[in-house]
Amino acid sequence: MTPVPFVRRTAQVRRMLRVELRRGTAPVAALAMFGAGVWMLAVHPDHWAGRWAGLADYFRVSMLILCALMVAAGAWQAGRERRRDLGELITSTPRPGWHPVVLAWLAVALAGTTGVLLAFSGAAAFVAPVATYAGGGWWWMLAVGVVALGTATAIGTLVGRLSALRVAAPIAGLATYLGLGILLYGDTRAAAWLSPVSPGWRMHQSIPDWVTAGQAGWLLALTVLSLAVAARRWWMAALAGGVAIAVAVPVATGPGPYRLPADPGAVQLVCTDTGPPVCLSRINAFLLDDVTPVVRPVLIRLTEATGRPWRAVDHATAPAGTPDSTDGDTVWLYLDSQSTVRGGLARPDWLRADFHTVTRPRCPVEQRREPDHRVYQLSSVAAAWLLDASHSTDPPAPVDPALERLRALPLAAQHAWFSAYLDAAARCDVPALIRLGQPQ
Amino acid sequence: MTTVSIHGLRVSYGSRPVLEELELELGVGVHGLLGPNGAGKTTLMRVLATVLRPDRGEVRLLGRQLSDPAGLRLARRQLGYLPQSFGFYPRFTVREFVEYFAWLKEMPPEAIPLAVDRAIERVGLLDRADDRMKHLSGGMLRRAGIAQAIVNDPKLLLLDEPTAGLDPEQRVEFRALLRQLGLDAVVLVSTHLVEDVVAACARVSLVDKGRLVFTGRPDELIAAGAAGDSGDSPIERGYAAVLRGAREAAR
Repeated sequence: MTPVPFVRRTAQVRRMLRVELRRGTAPVAALAMFGAGVWMLAVHPDHWAGRWAGLADYFRVSMLILCALMVAAGAWQAGRERRRDLGELITSTPRPGWHPVVLAWLAVALAGTTGVLLAFSGAAAFVAPVATYAGGGWWWMLAVGVVALGTATAIGTLVGRLSALRVAAPIAGLATYLGLGILLYGDTRAAAWLSPVSPGWRMHQSIPDWVTAGQAGWLLALTVLSLAVAARRWWMAALAGGVAIAVAVPVATGPGPYRLPADPGAVQLVCTDTGPPVCLSRINAFLLDDVTPVVRPVLIRLTEATGRPWRAVDHATAPAGTPDSTDGDTVWLYLDSQSTVRGGLARPDWLRADFHTVTRPRCPVEQRREPDHRVYQLSSVAAAWLLDASHSTDPPAPVDPALERLRALPLAAQHAWFSAYLDAAARCDVPALIRLGQPQ
Repeated sequence: MTTVSIHGLRVSYGSRPVLEELELELGVGVHGLLGPNGAGKTTLMRVLATVLRPDRGEVRLLGRQLSDPAGLRLARRQLGYLPQSFGFYPRFTVREFVEYFAWLKEMPPEAIPLAVDRAIERVGLLDRADDRMKHLSGGMLRRAGIAQAIVNDPKLLLLDEPTAGLDPEQRVEFRALLRQLGLDAVVLVSTHLVEDVVAACARVSLVDKGRLVFTGRPDELIAAGAAGDSGDSPIERGYAAVLRGAREAAR
């Protein structure tokens, strides 16, 4: 037989692929993945809104659900041959068995991936107008997620080829969900890098390129291994298995996920030009206009009362290991879950709560010893006084009599009291704190 | 010209032999394969369709040894097969289903569209070509199954109970199609309907308990029967007589 030119051969494969895309499990997979994507995005917009890296990371967080769906879809598609009693007829044809297996896998993987990417493209339309940092390796994180969807479909294909039972697909999907969940909560280094599911990295951090390449290599090898076993290509399966192990070992035994370096571009400071400085990382800078009106009145009150801390800075920009308590000059702000879909500030109260680090007494935690409740109450009074300038609650919170008494003092006396409180709190001088809490 | 050659074929399921020392030679033309239930007809069809590996014996299809992988692939390219239990993908249209099998049979891509239309036309389903398989009646499904079997103009066509579900008019048309196909291909039709054999087959083989007990022309099978044999037609009487004779000889 004369060899068929590549172009004509691929044209026929494309035509068969189109048939599979229309008539196989693919349309249902696309719809299910689109729905799952929209649902996941709607559940936690604060994780992805306003940040490209956040969107890519959330794509990987969603793998817990998405991979389970793709495994189920792959299993359903691959099981149809035996369910529909076509195995014998197909076996009698000359085309190598892996061709229809790969064609069916490709159709489901393409359709499912397109469905979920469509949902995430919708989210990208919200991110694009507000995002203030487009750099970093987020593209690669997204790409590894796409590879993982192909891997999940391939594993499903293998399950479907092994079992023609209708329940095999939902059971395989559920088992994938549980397995990935166990790996996630196992919280081991191997699980962090070999599982496609991200536990939710901090968005200003970057995963080393070699780890990302290793993840992609591991998932690709696993894909080939699954498809090769499904098509009973044992030599190919052995080769892919060897590659999978060779790639997995260095990735799983390499540096852990808790010492990821910051992306220098993402943590570059962006500060307000006037008044007490409010500085955010570039990746969170889209929140600056919303953060400043919340933070600045508190900073002004602080500087008027004590002169310090005099600035509020995004904790993402702090060197690794920096504690969350104030260093005297700086109040650290946490902005990782602080964005609405359109890029606004999601929870001003959480931001104000970051100032509690200023008023919290620096008392060492002692086991089997309850902190003095009077100190605790006084720290609440100090925090309430500090945050009062921009404080509003609905319905109004009951006013503490101690706070009322403090507010009744002349402003200079209020400042002096607050300054004395901070001094005593910094030293954990409990007697001095108790004295400050007594009516004067 | 012999294009299917079977020598010393033995197939068993577990310890139970289904075909035993079977010898068969088939040339171009339509051959009927008759036999009672459990005689081994479907097993023989599956061996010839290359989906069942025999325990022993030599099978040559279209001059190729099935034990040679390259020969097997070449033989499969020239093979058409309609199994007894014909499955299908319900969401595929008839055209897509036949095209899918044309692709599986490694037909040249440029020949596929025309071959698909021709196969569908030959089974009389052209007006339903774009209907989904799940919307077809039992007879139409059978015809779609025949269309996928003949799409590659096979040199060896194996049809296991092809007329099941066809109405009388469709059976008449199908016999005409069989005669046409048998002009330049080996067509082996396994059936219980002996009148189909008389009407369409040039030769007939009768299998009983895994052994070939008769092979010859339909008129020779008819001649084997006598007026006292059971059966409503001459061929049924011949069929019954040959079976009775084979069983008595085996005792």
